[in-house]
Amino acid sequence: MSSIPTRFDVVVVGAGPAGSAAAYLLAKKGFSVLLVERGKGLGDKNMFGGKVYAQPIREVWPELDKEAPIHRWVTKERISMVDGEKVLTVEYRTEKKVSFVTYLTQLTQWMIKKAEGAGALLASEVTVEEILMRDNRVVGIRSGPDVIEADAVIDAEGVNRLLLERLGLVKKLDPDTVGLGVKEVLKVGEGNIESRFGLDKKEGLAWAIVGDITKGIPGGGFIYTNKDTVSMGLVLHLSKKLLDEGSFEGHVSSLIEGFRLHPYFKPYWKDAIISEYGGHLTITDAIKFAPSRFAYPGLLIAGDAAGLLLSLGYTFRGVDYAVYSGKLAADAVEYARNNGGVNYENLQVYDDYIRKSFMYEEIMRHRGAITLMNSFELMSKYPKLLTKVMEKMFEAEYKHEVIYNSLLQALKEEGISPFNLISQAFMMVKGI
Amino acid sequence: MRIVVGMKWVPGTTSVRIDPKTGTLIREGVPSIVNPHDMPAVELSLRLKDKYKGEVIAISMAPPPALKGLEYLIGMGVDRGILVSDRAFAGADTLATSYVIAKTIEKINREIGKVDLVIFGQETIDSSTAHIGAQTASWLNWPYIYYVHDAKFVDSKFVVERVLEDAVEEWEVELPAIIATHMKALKPRPVRLINKIRYKVEKPIMTWTNAELKLDPRCIGLKGSPTIVSKTVNVPEVPRKKIVYTPKSGEDAAKWIIETLMKDDKASKVLMKYLSMEGEAQ
Amino acid sequence: MSQSKGEEKPIKLEDILQSDVWDVDEDPHIIVDSEKCLECPTKPCIYLCPAGCYVKAGDRVIFSYEGCVECGTCRVICPMDAVKWNYPKSGKGILYRFA
Repeated sequence: MSSIPTRFDVVVVGAGPAGSAAAYLLAKKGFSVLLVERGKGLGDKNMFGGKVYAQPIREVWPELDKEAPIHRWVTKERISMVDGEKVLTVEYRTEKKVSFVTYLTQLTQWMIKKAEGAGALLASEVTVEEILMRDNRVVGIRSGPDVIEADAVIDAEGVNRLLLERLGLVKKLDPDTVGLGVKEVLKVGEGNIESRFGLDKKEGLAWAIVGDITKGIPGGGFIYTNKDTVSMGLVLHLSKKLLDEGSFEGHVSSLIEGFRLHPYFKPYWKDAIISEYGGHLTITDAIKFAPSRFAYPGLLIAGDAAGLLLSLGYTFRGVDYAVYSGKLAADAVEYARNNGGVNYENLQVYDDYIRKSFMYEEIMRHRGAITLMNSFELMSKYPKLLTKVMEKMFEAEYKHEVIYNSLLQALKEEGISPFNLISQAFMMVKGI
Repeated sequence: MRIVVGMKWVPGTTSVRIDPKTGTLIREGVPSIVNPHDMPAVELSLRLKDKYKGEVIAISMAPPPALKGLEYLIGMGVDRGILVSDRAFAGADTLATSYVIAKTIEKINREIGKVDLVIFGQETIDSSTAHIGAQTASWLNWPYIYYVHDAKFVDSKFVVERVLEDAVEEWEVELPAIIATHMKALKPRPVRLINKIRYKVEKPIMTWTNAELKLDPRCIGLKGSPTIVSKTVNVPEVPRKKIVYTPKSGEDAAKWIIETLMKDDKASKVLMKYLSMEGEAQ
Repeated sequence: MSQSKGEEKPIKLEDILQSDVWDVDEDPHIIVDSEKCLECPTKPCIYLCPAGCYVKAGDRVIFSYEGCVECGTCRVICPMDAVKWNYPKSGKGILYRFA
């Protein structure tokens, strides 16, 4: 086995969006790259909500729009507030190709093939068990009895960062920083998608739902229209408060079932067959989740493992952030090579790259959203208030209330003072 | 020794569902895997190689996606893979398949080196015929032993152990021979990183089409397959009784199970029949 | 096995899970110290594991790894630190196709 290389310039752990982007760019820049993936190499361990922002990914793959497995470009964004069977929905329509819907399994597969095409060596079906450290410096990885050394290791292992925990660089996952995403993929049929959601060919819809759809647990619901299926599900913010109270109304699948059977939503997937069911953790508090540094001696942390996910309640950005952090990691390795070698001092620029990136700025700028969305109170109060206003306005058999009075009455019934409303609404607008 | 091991690339049948309208299998999006019952065969071949040196060649007759399966086996430590793939082989039953496999083994024997042993799994999860081992042995006129769970050389004689329900038998076998492993015989080893790197660097895979094998078109594919599937019947779903009993002890659990079964007409008959047979045997 | 229709009536989780595909590992990738579960006051895994791998039986928690969707929730929420969690080896485990 002497001809088999056991040393690479860079080892990338995890062939998700972050790892594939890093491996692709590094291979293109002439580095020898080993990309290690625990799945069968087809994106089969990847799971997400459904929507991807395109522009940061185009910086890595300008051919994205033309080549990638894009199901539909999002032309309609909807937000619904739910209180029981009452629903208030806002819709926005655009023509611009800002975000698209797809299966992450397919998109990742495309990215992995790009990385392989550029010359990265993909070793799939291999679980990395340890990132190896020697003299306070990361020197490689271990899987079973096999050790592979590298000048730099890029950790793109995802949200469940077992390797970083084992290294002692991060603490065990804190429930206050993550949420559980549960998703069903419902086969509706291409024609039905278009007629039921009012979409043209290749047009897609992204839909965020807040209110008691999560039965009082902070979080929300989502619906995305794929080519011939609908992805729908819930994100439930895990928290010490939730766990301490321990008062669950039932199994989490009953919450998603309540959503699926909700009279307002269920006509959209009439006669649909369930194609897939899955669960995944998502980052809800990126700042608390982030490791204290993004670059360590010999180690760069990218994607979910680095906490790079923007969660605003009405939209989520994870895939493009992952890809972009993979790009920055590749940039950092290249910078190091061009400035005297891939050593720690030079690799440290990655920490700067991340902190000065639009991603980090966005996460910092929107940090108020986290507090708001983690609030058990707010997540149920405002949807309730607004649906109540609508109720006063529309549910009249003879006399309709003027809007102002509807609002005042609703506030009174919900026990919210107008002053509180204004200050909290201001906080919300400012924070999100 | 040179060992050839057979692999079938099968849909992960745990999730193959049936279209309620047409009664056909829905294969859309169902990923394929290495037939799990082939795993003990691969493991045995690798243990023999660990012990007696030589090489292990994995073969599979399948369309090109089965390369993923050969990659997996090379990841476990198999030395190389041969994919036997041609449109002319499509639609083969076990007879036509075993013919192609036998001819492949003959070609390996001629061109790569003498084959000492061929190992198959017990059966496949997508058809469960357990034909291939026996049929291949018939074509080659080699000895065949099945339900094997171990094999070794004892004083230069090759001895295989096979498990039956109530006994373990030892057989001395003259090589070359064909054996089929028992489905739970051995736990397969995991895929290793170093082997996956080797797969990518050395690409130890060959594809043989019928241009290389030059087999009579009447003996292969659909034409070489006398098997006819006359009808498929779906086994009706048995309604569950949904009874949960929390026993106080093991004895209590056994007692409860017997009592409950005795209350059921059908179950009590089966139970009584079995108990009376036990009585006769004593 | 029949298919699960998405609307109209409730569907059991075990039927919903029929839509998923696994290549099940021989070895469990999660080990639960069930002695610790006996002492656990809230047992949140029973409600929050999306695949229903944790089932309550009296004071006990019965765990099975085969239908795990590898989200890692149980590892995060377990108040007793009873869950030893690894990723499956050799590409085994859940195989997402439309996720």
